[in-house]
Amino acid sequence: MRARSAIAPLMAVLGALLALACMLLLLGHDPWAATLALVDGAFGNRHAVETTLLRTGPLLLIGLAVALSFRAGIWNIGGEGQLYIGALVATTVATKLTSVLPLVLIAGMLGGALWSGLAALLRAHRGVSEVLSTILLNFIAVLLVSYAVQGPLQEVRGTYPQTDALPSAAMLGVIPGFQRVHWGLAGTLVLALFAWRFLFYSAAGLRLRAIGFAPRVAEYARVRISREIYQVFILAGMLAGLAGALEVTGVTGRLFRDLSAGYGFTAIAVAMLARLHPLAVVPAALFFAGLDTGAAAMQRVAAVPAVTVRIVEALVILFSIGFALPRRKA
Amino acid sequence: MQHVELRNIEKRFGSTHALRSANLELRRGEIHALLGENGAGKTSLVRVLFGMIQPDAGEILLDGMPAQIESPADALDKGIALVHQHSLLVPAFTVAENLLLGDRDAFFLSPSKRDQRAADWLERYGFYLDPKTRVETLSVAKQQRLMIVRALSRQVNLLILDEPTAVLAPSEVEELMRLLDRLRGEGMSVVFISHKMEEISSLCDRVTLLRGGETVLSQPLADLNVRDLAQALLGTDPPPPLQPPRSTPGELALRLDDLRAPGLQLSLELRRGEILGIAGIDGNGQDVLEEILAGLCVPEKGRLELAAPPVGILPGDRERSGFIAELSLAENLALSHAAEPHNSPLYRSALGMHWLLSQKLERATRAAITRHQIKGSARDLAGDLSGGNQQKLCVARALGSNPQVLVAINPTRGLDLKSTRELRNELRAHAEAGGAVLLISTDLDEVLEISTRVEVLFRGALSPLDSAEPSRERIGALMLGGTGS
Repeated sequence: MRARSAIAPLMAVLGALLALACMLLLLGHDPWAATLALVDGAFGNRHAVETTLLRTGPLLLIGLAVALSFRAGIWNIGGEGQLYIGALVATTVATKLTSVLPLVLIAGMLGGALWSGLAALLRAHRGVSEVLSTILLNFIAVLLVSYAVQGPLQEVRGTYPQTDALPSAAMLGVIPGFQRVHWGLAGTLVLALFAWRFLFYSAAGLRLRAIGFAPRVAEYARVRISREIYQVFILAGMLAGLAGALEVTGVTGRLFRDLSAGYGFTAIAVAMLARLHPLAVVPAALFFAGLDTGAAAMQRVAAVPAVTVRIVEALVILFSIGFALPRRKA
Repeated sequence: MQHVELRNIEKRFGSTHALRSANLELRRGEIHALLGENGAGKTSLVRVLFGMIQPDAGEILLDGMPAQIESPADALDKGIALVHQHSLLVPAFTVAENLLLGDRDAFFLSPSKRDQRAADWLERYGFYLDPKTRVETLSVAKQQRLMIVRALSRQVNLLILDEPTAVLAPSEVEELMRLLDRLRGEGMSVVFISHKMEEISSLCDRVTLLRGGETVLSQPLADLNVRDLAQALLGTDPPPPLQPPRSTPGELALRLDDLRAPGLQLSLELRRGEILGIAGIDGNGQDVLEEILAGLCVPEKGRLELAAPPVGILPGDRERSGFIAELSLAENLALSHAAEPHNSPLYRSALGMHWLLSQKLERATRAAITRHQIKGSARDLAGDLSGGNQQKLCVARALGSNPQVLVAINPTRGLDLKSTRELRNELRAHAEAGGAVLLISTDLDEVLEISTRVEVLFRGALSPLDSAEPSRERIGALMLGGTGS
């Protein structure tokens, strides 16, 4: 049983790559060359590795948020929107109020929590499904950022739709030995460890899993379900908001429209591949980040369109769902 | 003439050897009792017969010819139907819609013709029911009869009934018996699963007894008496019936004073040292009462007055409310503590949160396993335990916070003789140790066996019984709304 749970995700990845190879063959490409180009583009040199690691960060944080939410039976798919609002609030605080880094990061977390909290409110008081509300809130968040960077928060020069650069005091330092990878990534790994302990070794984590498995049993055990639901939403929002804050304070240095490369959506795949286990989210995030980074190289070197990588991502989700479910008994 | 023969059926599920060498010989037109403790293989054997599972080894003969039963649909085509213990009807559909569900010929009928056809079937089996009634408004007993009529409408000649009487009142049991007796007269063969010896000896022709996946006895009932049967079932002499707790009722533990909720209006007082038995047929307010006692539902008027909260509760639907199948035994026990971890010895607080002390939980779980004689280890998933052990796990959970009041709703439903007895002893022990037990059960025998006092719940109201030794008949009448005099 335990062994099987580790094998299934590997099978999913292998299955998806095999399917990709077949597809490439049909399209007249050399699958072996394409795969080599992909791997080389993701991990082949220092620059590639750092790019992959930088992409791992937000995938990991939002992957954790998704894993915790789904474990509680909450289908929160608003990571993208929560990331954007986190980035927006963090940038606002950093450029207008204070450049004290911890405060900026906390502001980002609160921003994400505000956004997921809206979905929680709608569910608790109006019975609106969080699937619906979080998708719609994603659109609003993206549009809000779009408005902000062309309006109130636009850079003083007024040339590009982006904010001014953050004050350097509000920027995260680079880990010694790296050129671009910032301390936020190290913090993110610690959070993954913390999320694992939280989920399996804390009272709140057990309550969270209980409401996901069997809300009725949790109620009988005097767990206050609506309170737990709020907590999960807030926690997930904080993680996604932090991802946004780390993007601006660690990578881009300013806020603009396409800050996220769809991290909030890819993170759902990450969490599924990890079978909602916080520690497994780490390699899963690395895998998806590598796919993203390698895709461009594959297009350049092997002339395979980068969008095929999107197909692989989708296939990985389908395969991991397929392998994760127990075989139906006759 | 042998109608069905199952020979040396063997079936493994993973490491469990559910059936080793099970035999069943069913004659045409007989009612055949299938007996055995939980885990003896009754359900597996019946599932083989209904095509739900395929045996690993063994032979199936239908009318003397070797046969394979591929699926439930195949079984129905061969004239075999299984009536499950739980309702498999669509609650929002009408009686007619449920009755003709899956009947290809009825698909294109107009509603009025369909209702007429359903009415014909119902009438044929003496069941007078408006085909337009929605199933969710029917009592459990009526739903069960509807399932039986539905099976009969498929032209079957072998009916398998899985513990049909577990959910019925005494008079409803008699009605079912009459129906089965009539069907036998018409040549129907019936496999009847039950734990209740009296029913079996008054209804059935022959009996097959399973123990540990093997057939240990198969013979006409006329040659046996109830005592022999119980002895064969347990492998030892049947123990004498239990008694109510020996303790005398003491101070007040729980009071409900003119409590009102939808479909409920009652008062009751529960004292330490007693088991108050509440008899009644399903659907007379037990669900609402359970929710109020569990604190899930706030009454419209009145409230729960407790000498020492909280209440320990054994939910009526243990699979849905009692434990989480996907969590380990230890985690299930920890869950009651996780709701209020600040005063639990299993959690310590740090970083503003409560962290599990794994070793303490492990020790507490081992202690609970020993105390409640649960067969399983701390890390086993609760879903992998047998029904009896799952219910013991529920008891361990309910008693985990040392409550004074223990509420048990149908605590032995679906349990075998041995587990039933162990469970009833747990309830008695709780009362004798100074606790108070509220036993809400649809099993009248259970209520009468261990209750200090009995009250009857009918349409949300309680009728106390004044005499110390109430008769079965009197309680049975009260359960159906009679005056009891």
